[in-house]
Amino acid sequence: MAFAPLDPVLHNQLRLAVMSLLVAVDNADFNYLLEKTGATRGNLSVQITNLKEAGYIEVTKSFKDNYPNTACRVSSQGLAAFETYVAAIKGYLEK
Amino acid sequence: MEQQLTPEQSLKLIESMIGQAKRSFSRLSFYFLLWGILLTGAMLATYLLRHQPDAWGQGAPWGIAGVLGGIISAIHGARQGRHVTVSNPMDGLIGWLWSSFVITMIIMIVASVVDRQDPGPTITLLTGIPTFMTGQILRFRPLIVGGILFWAAGIAMHFTGDQLALTLLYCGAMLLGYIIPGFMLKRQEDGLRAA
Repeated sequence: MAFAPLDPVLHNQLRLAVMSLLVAVDNADFNYLLEKTGATRGNLSVQITNLKEAGYIEVTKSFKDNYPNTACRVSSQGLAAFETYVAAIKGYLEK
Repeated sequence: MEQQLTPEQSLKLIESMIGQAKRSFSRLSFYFLLWGILLTGAMLATYLLRHQPDAWGQGAPWGIAGVLGGIISAIHGARQGRHVTVSNPMDGLIGWLWSSFVITMIIMIVASVVDRQDPGPTITLLTGIPTFMTGQILRFRPLIVGGILFWAAGIAMHFTGDQLALTLLYCGAMLLGYIIPGFMLKRQEDGLRAA
């Protein structure tokens, strides 16, 4: 039986970490993701852009206490992709 | 965080991150401590003023505690909201749970005043529900036990008319159901923040 291909957008440590955090909450700020993933600002910013361009997350930029604030949330497309990815990973582990 | 992942690493990473996100609750200990202290103070004041004419002996300490607690909670909540970096769906659930409790409590107080009944035992009994549920949602045993103690105190209060017994039961429930769990929750929240 052939293995299900893994989504290349999600099969990356930082992007997967960000998606895993976001599927469990309503939304999260850039600083929260930075704290939980331990990534650098630059790398996190790039990976958030990649996820946004793939349509997996929605990014809202606003101001909070006069400072720029970036909030992220998983889109329905992102949630479906995440579920497919988890199912594929489980398939690999079961075989 | 750049290397390619094995399936095992992927699954472990997913579990770890989801686990962390699920523990990202707003800090609630402040509210348990605030209301625990205010309501215990109101009950003690009611006992001390029991021989005073109606308003000061009965309703005033509760009115003062309610207004003061409401104002402090609103200011604290607004300040806390400015520093929130994540919105957990369980936070919303806890918020609605306590809001529905407050609405029910206000209706009960008004109905009891109209009927010239003491709302204390029923409200103590009702307090057990959000306390117990919050403990279950946070998986925080002291609040679960606190909720059960509110139920026990509420039942006991229904069977006594003695003012001293009512005061001790209510203050005991507040101490064990709000104040001590509040301190323990604060210690846990401080620990999570430092981690």
